[in-house]
Amino acid sequence: MNKPSIFIILFFTITNCLAQYHKTYNWNESPVIHELTMEEKNKASVGILKKHIVEYAESLFGNQLKIYETEHLITHVNNDEGIARHNTVYIPMYEVIRVLDIKARTINSEGKVVVLNKDNIKEVENVEEYGDFKIFAIEGVEKNSEIEILYTVEKEYDMHGQQQLQDEYPIRTAEFVFITGETTSRIKAYHTEIPFESEVINNKLSKRLVLENIPAMLDEEYATPNANKVSVAYQCFPKEQNITQGMFWDNVVTNIGPQFFHKDTLDIVKTDIKNSIAETSNLSTFEKATIIDDYIKTNFTVVKNNNAELSNMDYILKNKSASAFGILKTYSHYLYNLGIEYEIVITANRFLKKFDPEFFNPNQLQEFLIYLPNEEKYISPDRIEYRVGEAPFNILGNYGVYVVKNFDYYFSQIVQSDPNFSRINRTVDILFDTDLSIVTLTQSQEYTGHWSATSRAVLNFYPEQSIKEYEDYLTGSGIEDKVIESYEASNTELLQMEYNKPFITNSVITSESLVEEAGDDFIFQIGKVIGTQSELYQETKRINPIEMQYPNQYDYTISISIPPGFTAEGLTELNIDKSYKSVKGNKLCKFESNYRIENQTIIITIQEFYKSNEYDLNRYEEFREVINAASDFNKTSILLKKIL
Amino acid sequence: MKNLTISFWLLFPIVMLSQNFDNEDFIFLKRHNHFDINLVDGEFNIIKSVTEQGKFLTSKKLYFANEVLSFNSFSTIKDIKAFTYLPLENKKINVDYIETKHTFENGVFYSDQQTKNFTFPAVKAGAETHLEYQEIISDPRFLGLFQFGSFVPTLSTKLSIEFPDNISIGYKTFHTKNFPIEFKKEHKLNRTVYTWTLNNIDGFQGEEQSESLLYYLPHIILHIKSYDKNGDITSVLNDVKDLYKWYDSLVNNITENNLKKVHDIAENISNGYTDKHDKAEAIFNWVQDNITYVAFEDGLGGFIPRSSSSVVEKRYGDCKDMANLLYEMLNHVDIESYRAWIGTRDRPYSYREVPTPMVDNHMITAAVIDNDTIFLDATDSYVSYGLPSSFIQNKEALIGIDNKNFNIRRIPVPKMKENKTETYSEISINSNLVHVNETRSLIGFEKVSYISDFTFNKNDKTREEYLNTTLKLGNNKTMYSNISERNFDNKSSPLLLSYDLKIDNYLKKVANKTYINMNIDRTLSRSKIDLKNRKYSKKIDHKYEKAYTTRLIVPEGFKVSNIPENLSYEHPKFGFDISYVKNDDQITQHKVIYINALRIDNNEFEIWNNFIKNITRAYKKNIILEQLK
Repeated sequence: MNKPSIFIILFFTITNCLAQYHKTYNWNESPVIHELTMEEKNKASVGILKKHIVEYAESLFGNQLKIYETEHLITHVNNDEGIARHNTVYIPMYEVIRVLDIKARTINSEGKVVVLNKDNIKEVENVEEYGDFKIFAIEGVEKNSEIEILYTVEKEYDMHGQQQLQDEYPIRTAEFVFITGETTSRIKAYHTEIPFESEVINNKLSKRLVLENIPAMLDEEYATPNANKVSVAYQCFPKEQNITQGMFWDNVVTNIGPQFFHKDTLDIVKTDIKNSIAETSNLSTFEKATIIDDYIKTNFTVVKNNNAELSNMDYILKNKSASAFGILKTYSHYLYNLGIEYEIVITANRFLKKFDPEFFNPNQLQEFLIYLPNEEKYISPDRIEYRVGEAPFNILGNYGVYVVKNFDYYFSQIVQSDPNFSRINRTVDILFDTDLSIVTLTQSQEYTGHWSATSRAVLNFYPEQSIKEYEDYLTGSGIEDKVIESYEASNTELLQMEYNKPFITNSVITSESLVEEAGDDFIFQIGKVIGTQSELYQETKRINPIEMQYPNQYDYTISISIPPGFTAEGLTELNIDKSYKSVKGNKLCKFESNYRIENQTIIITIQEFYKSNEYDLNRYEEFREVINAASDFNKTSILLKKIL
Repeated sequence: MKNLTISFWLLFPIVMLSQNFDNEDFIFLKRHNHFDINLVDGEFNIIKSVTEQGKFLTSKKLYFANEVLSFNSFSTIKDIKAFTYLPLENKKINVDYIETKHTFENGVFYSDQQTKNFTFPAVKAGAETHLEYQEIISDPRFLGLFQFGSFVPTLSTKLSIEFPDNISIGYKTFHTKNFPIEFKKEHKLNRTVYTWTLNNIDGFQGEEQSESLLYYLPHIILHIKSYDKNGDITSVLNDVKDLYKWYDSLVNNITENNLKKVHDIAENISNGYTDKHDKAEAIFNWVQDNITYVAFEDGLGGFIPRSSSSVVEKRYGDCKDMANLLYEMLNHVDIESYRAWIGTRDRPYSYREVPTPMVDNHMITAAVIDNDTIFLDATDSYVSYGLPSSFIQNKEALIGIDNKNFNIRRIPVPKMKENKTETYSEISINSNLVHVNETRSLIGFEKVSYISDFTFNKNDKTREEYLNTTLKLGNNKTMYSNISERNFDNKSSPLLLSYDLKIDNYLKKVANKTYINMNIDRTLSRSKIDLKNRKYSKKIDHKYEKAYTTRLIVPEGFKVSNIPENLSYEHPKFGFDISYVKNDDQITQHKVIYINALRIDNNEFEIWNNFIKNITRAYKKNIILEQLK
């Protein structure tokens, strides 16, 4: 959904007035239902046509550009899920001046047509953060019918736009028509190799992209499917103007630079800092930044609404409320006063959008960070669970524009300064009771990096029930009858003056189900001790490139006291070694487990790591083997055989 | 989070009293509601004045500064006065920006529900939030309910209602027994004031698989019974008769303009049948299959069904639209049927206790055939004819007979044997792999829940992956093949689900012995209740029985050297029985598990855990096969 951007640049002028394409574009007066292939019949729904027409045109009496956007969709629905996916329509009214026409109809399997009664179109105002909508439910839809929607809206001139052409269901034909006439325009397609065709529509220069048989975008694990959909981004401005990408970026920097880099300190900021950090204190830059980060996050609230004052510093300091943009300004004032060097980073959530430095699109300017270049650390102003450290994992790996003091800028990928940021170290000591009916696990665990941020966030912000569920995870998931005998967590506070201080838990749990009985012998389900490990399935062709949540490493040491009178057998399956190596032969990710026996104790060591955040799609099978090695270990067991 | 108030917290139950709130991050100092009810020229003038004060004890959960006040076509909100007070600085900072918003609620396509949103400024540890506003209630039937507890502790809660002598007020309290609520009745100058107060009540937090908050949270439902105008008494909601009279007047507002079309469809569908049940079933199935559920909540429109002809034309509707369509179609083919109002299982009320619209939130159709009443709820697309939807089991239905008469009938609870899964499996061993050939036959709610989950929650998973993650058979390496489903769309026959499994790493081989556990399905093994922390009863979706017949083929050259003992556990509400029989070259395990209740009460938790412990122990037993020398 297009959201208003804070980077508004205005350029106006005139173009020639020509007939608009939408006036003659129409749906087929006598529609027929499309025959599906066997494969298509197995899908909940299939897009027959998904067509978008964007036309930049001069208004009749003014000299301003306007946009006419037409959307034409034909979708075949096969079952209840398909109906539920397509039977309600929400048309955003963001930037819409007027709706020229909305029509919709269904064609059932017998060819009967039901046309939408326009009286049933409802208007909904100010929905959450998305503005106004026109909404309607499709009439006459039934299984194995086709829904057709055609509408055109006239919109305010916006020199940027984007459109997604791929969806969660397969689409036979997706088409994007870009009519710009004499204006200057650029268009770029993402995640497709198919080129645009140039043509002339109603005497206006146009470009058309036609894609056939686009597969459904699947919600795969270790992937960013929403950011990987086929899409186009475009720019269009009056013909006298030719704005280069560099000019757009310059413009952003000139617009926002003065708001973040200051010459004077505000009085309230001075006082606040005096109250938070003793002047004589000998704190390092990292510590000062951490204190200020914590101060702002425990005294200011980030608010999402349309109140323009939320980016005005006077208002922010009085009300301690700010927009996401306003809170960024707030940080800049405090950091400036502390004399800490900083850069402003503007980027996007990599799960939603891959930042493209080469094509300016305000829609990719949604997330803000502050970079401390001397510390190589980030501040995440609107993420209350993070303190000075690495960038949040949903941003990690994306590119961003870094705005620096002299109103200059550069692009860089957002990476972790510490590649080993997120680790889990765990030791487990295992004891059996005399009749081997109950097993006791004494565990201690250290979590660092994003794991500790998540754990602290849950313990500090979540309701009681969620904390209980999280404690279940922290004490070992997947042991069905687990009893938590004791549990304690330390370093739970969000404010930690030491960089990447581990979050620590110590617990003792007991279980009966971990030891199965077989006559006089026992089978100990050792694999379950490492917690539920999900198998990475892939029966269909992998679509998305591999991206982790974040690089990580696990180091486990598990000691099992062999009960007196028993021998341990069937241990070889505990040795597992799977890895994925770089071209140079370095292990980029691996799962390795080994055992040894010392003094009636089995000691198992496990190391699993993912050093890189991205892996080659062509080597998916190797990656999958490493991931699945953990689930192989999860199924291992040890036979405790009675010595007769 | 505060902005989830109504819908989110309604799902969640309570805690006992305590005075010490030191560990909290945010508490309410005060939550007071005052109703002022007046009658002016025969018209009600109802104002609810709300006063709330909160305090941040820490600076952790500053998101509690976000406030959301809901209203709809029956209410307006005015005179919002809100500010933050900072006691240390003795400073008051006003809320100066309030936005009116719509939300797209999950599952509701269009709703008249709107919100006033704002954020208390300058909150930090020690800050207090002060809020006052008035809610003008335009319909005297919607006084709503007052909850003594909230999601965080409250130091002082108070509900009061003030009304003149010519108005009569009714009320009903729920779950107040264990709370020292003070009730006071005052009368002066021709006006009465009822006041309920309660101090120091803990916060109410939810639990998994528990019933709605309304089953535990102390609350009051108020209603206007009647008023006296110059000696003439007019009832509003004095008893269920008044509620019905109003509902009946609303359904009389349905404007049908093309009933012929509806009747033609009804005739066409049912023409081939002579038996009334067959006719009714055909019509019910047609509505389930052809009308898509789309929810609307739109003022009185939320109470008046749309005309059946328009529903048939548009092919979508909400519960009342489907109920009314069934009513029109069935009656047309001479099947006596009625519209019926009903509350889903999360509304624990009876019509006679509280004759107000709080009791119900749903509508169905009741058909009477040969003195049998059949409850039909087409909003569940997968229930078979004769089966109610799972979420109205055991609830009262208010059946509208004519403009004066109604019946209140309880929806039957399908017995456990009517919701049954029978599983037949054959296990064979091939080297280190376990092969299983399995067929499951599902009826009743067992079938319904499988089909709706498969239809709406499978998402992008393949069928293999879906089955693996939902049935959880064997281990997480279990591979499915040859999956077939029969009678998926045939509502009257059992769903037959069959597949082959290949399970690696499942059996344990050491020397000449092979250890194998025949419980590849370990239903309920994760169902232990945490006695230390659990506060509220456990909700069960439906009663059921699962019966398994599992045969293990002993591989050639092996003998059976250990068979587990037979184990069982019997309680009227739950139990199991597992037995093993050895015949020649195979071992047969018979296993039956049953749940014969819709809830497990707190006083049954220990015995429930005992049951789970016993079944877990039974699941631990392995067979030993020994290779012959």
